[in-house]
Amino acid sequence: MALLEVDHLSVTYTPRDQPANRAVHDVSFHISEGEFVGLLGESGCGKSTLGNAVLRLLSPPARITGGRVTFDGVDLTTADEEKLRELRWVDLSTVFQSSMNSLNPVIRVHAQFADTFAAHKVPGDVTERATELLELVALDRRVLRAYPHELSGGMKQRVALALALALRPKLVLLDEPTTGLDVVVQRGILTRLAELRRELGFAVLFISHDLGTVLEMADRVMVMYGGEIVEDRRAADMLREPRHPYSRGLLGSYADPRLPDVRVSYIPGRPPDLSRPHTGCLFAARCPHVEDACRTTHPDLLPDRHGLVRCLVAQSDRLPVVTLGSADAATTLGSHFPATGTLDRPADAAEAAPVLTVTGVSKRYTTRRGLRTSSVEAVRDVSFALRPGVVTALVGQSGSGKSTLARIVTAVERPTSGEVRFTGDDGTDVRVDRLRGAALRDYRRHVQMVFQDPFSALNPTRTVAYALSRPLANFAGLRGAAARERAAQLLESVGLAPAGQFLDKLPHQLSGGQRQRVVTARALAPDPRVLIADEPISMLDVSIRAEILELLGDLVRDRRLAMLYITHDLLSARLLADEVLVLNQGVLVERGPTREVIGAARDEYTRLLLDSIPNPFAKAAAG
Amino acid sequence: MAPVAYFVRRFLFFLGTLWAAVTLNFLIPRLQPGDPAEAIVSRLAGQSESIDPAQVQAIRVMLGTPDGNLFDQYVQYLGAVLHGDFGISYTYFPYSVTHMIGQALPWTVILVGVTQIISFVVGTLLGTWAAYRRNSRVDSVITLGSTFLGTLPFFWLALLLVYVFAITLRWFPERGGYGGGSSPGWNWLFISDAFQHSVLPAVALLITGPIGWIIGMRNNMVQSLGEDHTRLAVARGLPRRRVAITYGARIAILPNVTGFAIALGGILGGTVLVETVFNYPGMGRLLLESVSSRDYPLMQAIFLFTTIGVLVANFLADLLYGFLDPRVRKVESV
Ligand SMILES: Nc1ncnc2c1ncn2[C@@H]1O[C@H](COP(=O)(O)OP(=O)(O)OP(=O)(O)O)[C@@H](O)[C@H]1O
Ligand code: SF4
Ligand SMILES: [Mg+2]
Repeated sequence: MALLEVDHLSVTYTPRDQPANRAVHDVSFHISEGEFVGLLGESGCGKSTLGNAVLRLLSPPARITGGRVTFDGVDLTTADEEKLRELRWVDLSTVFQSSMNSLNPVIRVHAQFADTFAAHKVPGDVTERATELLELVALDRRVLRAYPHELSGGMKQRVALALALALRPKLVLLDEPTTGLDVVVQRGILTRLAELRRELGFAVLFISHDLGTVLEMADRVMVMYGGEIVEDRRAADMLREPRHPYSRGLLGSYADPRLPDVRVSYIPGRPPDLSRPHTGCLFAARCPHVEDACRTTHPDLLPDRHGLVRCLVAQSDRLPVVTLGSADAATTLGSHFPATGTLDRPADAAEAAPVLTVTGVSKRYTTRRGLRTSSVEAVRDVSFALRPGVVTALVGQSGSGKSTLARIVTAVERPTSGEVRFTGDDGTDVRVDRLRGAALRDYRRHVQMVFQDPFSALNPTRTVAYALSRPLANFAGLRGAAARERAAQLLESVGLAPAGQFLDKLPHQLSGGQRQRVVTARALAPDPRVLIADEPISMLDVSIRAEILELLGDLVRDRRLAMLYITHDLLSARLLADEVLVLNQGVLVERGPTREVIGAARDEYTRLLLDSIPNPFAKAAAG
Repeated sequence: MAPVAYFVRRFLFFLGTLWAAVTLNFLIPRLQPGDPAEAIVSRLAGQSESIDPAQVQAIRVMLGTPDGNLFDQYVQYLGAVLHGDFGISYTYFPYSVTHMIGQALPWTVILVGVTQIISFVVGTLLGTWAAYRRNSRVDSVITLGSTFLGTLPFFWLALLLVYVFAITLRWFPERGGYGGGSSPGWNWLFISDAFQHSVLPAVALLITGPIGWIIGMRNNMVQSLGEDHTRLAVARGLPRRRVAITYGARIAILPNVTGFAIALGGILGGTVLVETVFNYPGMGRLLLESVSSRDYPLMQAIFLFTTIGVLVANFLADLLYGFLDPRVRKVESV
């Protein structure tokens, strides 16, 4: 008998004002003692819902509508409160999707450990035990005296992990434990997790939409789509030959940025609406191998080459064969989906005269804490130039000063020293760091931003047409029908065609990728010369990131925009950028053409960033 | 983060607002047209008769209405305020304003203060219970019951009480703070008499008082029980009560604590409605009378008292909040 057995589990959300949503449908799987299982799938496919159902933490409007969860022989779906409480944390613990809020904000870390020990009558000194646990995750004992808000995101995540291991559980459920963290921090936590598992031997259910991480860490991988498991097999086999078209699509969105030729693919379309009835395969609308039968017959999850797959074509062995070398796996896999490689640029672009020149810029922040003042140099002596038709990537860890530079370039802030110059089309030259009033407003129309979070960048109560009409009225003086017409053109230029379908939609009616397109269209409205994109894809699903990158690349080429692409993701930098600037603690440590910097990094910090990227193919090659 | 800095900052802020309030209280009546001395003379003499300037001057001297330029007046005023000297009341001439307030204040502080504290405690407990048993019968009874009571007009409720318990059943006196048979002092007769008189107004206040706290507490707590840290506490196998108290109520009560402190500060202004209905000799009635008879010194002093009460309460609430919620200290001081 396996440690965890999930049999035909279904979960439905029945909100009062919306149709019921079958978030998890007929899911079955087992996890053995000490096994590390990954659960992969795009946002909204039901991963967290499944995880919460296993932990019996669902609350209305969610309800288990069928099936069973058995842990160590105990039926969790019917166990009474007290039985469940005895088992909780002692045998089965968890780290939530956003550990940012999973610690009680008004009590100290120490008290949260003490609560946990007291609840299970663990004898001994709390401080001593908690200190040991913190050491496991490489945290100092001083953390015990801190309140959660005094810790950084990575530290909170480690505290949550230490807490999860406090009672030496048999199974730990990790729901996106590193999403939203810096690559370097993420690497640190994952490495520690792998070591701890080897030492302590607990089993893990690891939920993530980040395929690189899951494949690298897990023994076995389950892929979820539309509330169902569509593929379940050993990670090594999945890497060699994924059998479900959706798994292939996901794998195609991953590549090693160091390779000479990098291509990634994306999965067009949106996941199915689970509040409507479906016949046939849920993936049919997006599948490149779809056949007539797929639209009428719902495939079952059946054994297939040492694993399980839910695909009619794969089951009858008619799926195109892919043989994967370790190096260009993604290229081959992606070949059935639209793919985008490093984007071509006109040859003369590098020689074009710069539109924006940053020379010797430094920024010092002075913070007052009580009576003491301290100052931080966020950016130190940075120089670079942005040219039309060229993408310059600015990479670095969080806190390295990337966003400070963005604020300086967009004249939201002034540098402490150094200068920023903007050269207009007509050859006029302005000192950006000295602009005020009308001149500043005029400058802003030339330099536009695309933000990280497409969900908060748009007013949820206003239509797309309205969002676009604002900058059109402010900068181009367009109103009424003229504005609407221009808005439609802009939408089409960002690939939202026919525009008529989108103009009157509200943000919540759009997918993440569509919203980011609208945000991009809004940035293009004043017809800017420079586009600053601050992590424009980091909040998007892996399967659609490439699509937005391609859009940005096309815009730069077609409109001869100069673009500053800010990111900590070196793969996207590799795909989009012509040149790369690596920023470490406010100082530019490396710069040059993308392929050289990323393919053969000289600086130690750049190499650290590169090594922090999850790389399942390295593991496959090694073992 | 040094909490001291937070507390020092709150204190300086408190002093600043206090000064502003006192100054506004000085300026506003002086910006109004008309001479208060003339007003009082015409009151004393009856509205229609003509006013003798000598009489006005005499009154002015007697009232201590200050002469000199605005700045001198301001300095004098500050001195007077510091000594608790607010001049003579027009209505209760020749009693001083301070005397009148001294008479009314204990009535209000005891009646409203006690009922406020009880309301808060009861409201918080009921709200916590409703949230703890959310979506159960108990929850529906508590929430629907208090929402229903909240929709009844206070005035109507108070009159109903008077009608049933004072006029019909004659269990309690109908109006006033004490009866004719007793006189204020520390004697049993007076205390029991005053208590009898306070029952109906207190009941009226206690029926409506807890409603806001119940609803506020319940909603905050339902929310905090839905948050990740609470769910994680459940996943950690913490006993249900511990989760409800440390992870639910402990956080949910924070906004209510501030609200409570401010409500206590507001007591000094009295509760006009209840004191009017029951003809209760407290601050609310005094305020009403001072307004309706344009008794500026009295009005001004009551307003100042109320403002100071609210400011002090606010300051204490801030301190308490900073003590209860570690997050605030951080946010404020960065
Ligand atoms: N409280 C809720 N009420 C109604 N529907 C919900 C609720 N929570 C989640 N859902 C729906 O259930 C489905 C699955 O959500 P779930 O959070 O499990 O996805 P996920 O795979 O964890 O996504 P992510 O990667 O974004 O965390 C989604 O369609 C979501 O819209
Ligand atoms: S069943 Fe058909 S539509 Fe579904 S994944 Fe397989 S090939 Fe694609
Ligand atoms: Mg999730």
